Amino acid sequence: MKRLALTLTLGLLAAAQAQKVATPVPIGIAVAQTSNTALLGQEQVIGARFAEKFLNARGGINGTPIRLVFQDAAGDENSAINAFQNLITKENVVGIVGPTLSQQAFAADPIAERAKVPVLGPSNTAKGIPQIGEFVARVSAPVAVVAPNAIRQALRLDPKIKKVAVLYAQNDAFSTSETGTFQETAKAQGLNVATVQKFQTTDTDFTTQVTAVLNAGVDLVIVSGLAADGGNLVKQLRQLGYKGLIIGGNGLNTSNIFSVCQRYCDGIIIAQAYSPAQPSAANQVFVKEYRAQYKKDPPQFAAQAYAGVQVMVEALRALDRKKKLAQWDLGELRTALNKQILAGRYNTPLGELRFDKDGEIIQKDFYVAQIKMKDARTGSFVFLK
Amino acid sequence: MGDFLAQYGFLIVTMVQAGLLGLSLYFPLQAGQLSLASPGFYAVGGYVAAILLTNPAFAGLRESLGGALFPLTWLAAALICGLLGLVVGIPALRLRGIYLALATIAFVEILRVVSLNLEITGGAIGIFGIPQAFGFQDRWQYIWLFGPLLILTLLFARQLERSRVGRAFRAIREDELAADAMGVPPTRYKVLAFVIGAVLAGIVGAMSAPFLNTWNAKQGTFDASIAILAFVLIGGSRNIWGPVVGGALLTAVPEVLRFLADWRLVINGLVLVVASLYLPQGIVGALQGVRRPPPPRRPPSVPVVVEAPGGGS
Repeated sequence: MKRLALTLTLGLLAAAQAQKVATPVPIGIAVAQTSNTALLGQEQVIGARFAEKFLNARGGINGTPIRLVFQDAAGDENSAINAFQNLITKENVVGIVGPTLSQQAFAADPIAERAKVPVLGPSNTAKGIPQIGEFVARVSAPVAVVAPNAIRQALRLDPKIKKVAVLYAQNDAFSTSETGTFQETAKAQGLNVATVQKFQTTDTDFTTQVTAVLNAGVDLVIVSGLAADGGNLVKQLRQLGYKGLIIGGNGLNTSNIFSVCQRYCDGIIIAQAYSPAQPSAANQVFVKEYRAQYKKDPPQFAAQAYAGVQVMVEALRALDRKKKLAQWDLGELRTALNKQILAGRYNTPLGELRFDKDGEIIQKDFYVAQIKMKDARTGSFVFLK
Repeated sequence: MGDFLAQYGFLIVTMVQAGLLGLSLYFPLQAGQLSLASPGFYAVGGYVAAILLTNPAFAGLRESLGGALFPLTWLAAALICGLLGLVVGIPALRLRGIYLALATIAFVEILRVVSLNLEITGGAIGIFGIPQAFGFQDRWQYIWLFGPLLILTLLFARQLERSRVGRAFRAIREDELAADAMGVPPTRYKVLAFVIGAVLAGIVGAMSAPFLNTWNAKQGTFDASIAILAFVLIGGSRNIWGPVVGGALLTAVPEVLRFLADWRLVINGLVLVVASLYLPQGIVGALQGVRRPPPPRRPPSVPVVVEAPGGGS
């Protein structure tokens, strides 16, 4: 049995090493195209497709075009692992952008790590992602870096804030880690966290939580949840008479929320890792093309997926200048690509970014937006200075 | 071959794993108990293994035991799930049919909420960075764990069916009152069937935690209960091969059809609908119907001649 396993492993290694890099150069995209995570995943697909069209139109990798290979990572761990396996062994991609959720990254990224394939997380914001391995990096700033900006901005809008209520969706991995950051920041800013309330992403009635918030007499409410539950919670808060400022977490960071809380969405403050107003040339071209096609500003998830592909392509360009990509062995190229990704500096729509030695993103610019509703249906994110 | 294993190894092992989970639901079903608790025990088993393998509190144990820790995690999961099965089974099995199904769903939900709230289970993020069993590098190597477990379980199930206990299970399934009247204690056998299922699901969970690299509250949910029930119903609930075939098939269909993109889930739904409409006995049940002659019918009952009062014929 052992010998059989050994032979198979050796055969596998030999096969992997003899492999050359295909043209057009395949880059894997493993994000959620189905399941309830697809709300985010669809925006990532759009962002990645944009990058493909865009970068190929500008010469691809020094003349060699790229080809994105999409595999649905759905919303669960098994699908993410299957998608990664497919991309690595069947599609022979040079690197992977994905998966959508942090929980999936914990399952699927070790697969790529063992196969020595570089991974860029487009939306994995939980603690510990770049530490999964040396082939794992992310272009999504962790919540610990993004979320505090919202509180600072709220204090700038209303310096008299003293008491805070914190609410979060207890069954959502992102929201539970985000609320930790919010609570720490609030305390660090000298605010008094008067009450902490939990809810579920499946809840529709928030009377208990709202009552507790109103009784505590707070001047600021911080909500970490997803669009449907978070939106309903805000709506009920306002309907029952809460007048102060509201901060929403990244889960509320989508225009899908407008139809949930309608007029009551007005004034929600949300920290952003991306702003369409970012002045760099890279972003302005991206925004212009995106608006032309979709008649609206690009969302954060699309911009991050775009940045993921862009980073891969720019790193590949640098390698191609040293030695033509077609002459590389696939295995060697993957290892070199990983090193190059971590070494470079990139001007992406997210602004200038680079990576630390773990693969954690070092991003310069962050933003805070406030929702402004025109009527019950349409609104927009207005970026605050 | 190497490429094939690298690409489909994970899927093949997942198919075996699904078959095992189907079997864990099949055991209580053998005694006529529609229990949907398997994902709960599966989740508990996974947490037991994940905690033993990653928690700093067990660092000393890990160092002294090395590779022997993995069988220990299975054993611990089996013991804990067996006990939990006993504690839950005794009161829950007073319920029947749909009420038992509801109670077991509630059990799965309670476990999920508990695991979201405990610090040791990592809350909503769960536990990650789980070390690999025996230093396995590729997913397909896990077949060395799940494969033998499947064979052992099937052998056990076959022996069980032929034994006195198996006959008692079947008697309870067909008619609990009649079995009770014949001197078969239903409660004891029902709890036994439930505990066997719980132990199996727990061991599968303990093996799955390193296999999936991470473990979180999403592993044991209502959705998983329904998925596993579908394995058994589509495969066939009256034969040990039913859950295995159903689990393997329903796990494979959406993955093998990956090239169809969004359509693959439509096909998956079609398989479910067609199978439940046209194969009421499941796939294995239908195959048996083709191979074997129909079971002997009850002999025609002796005509009862009713004597009309006042005689005459």
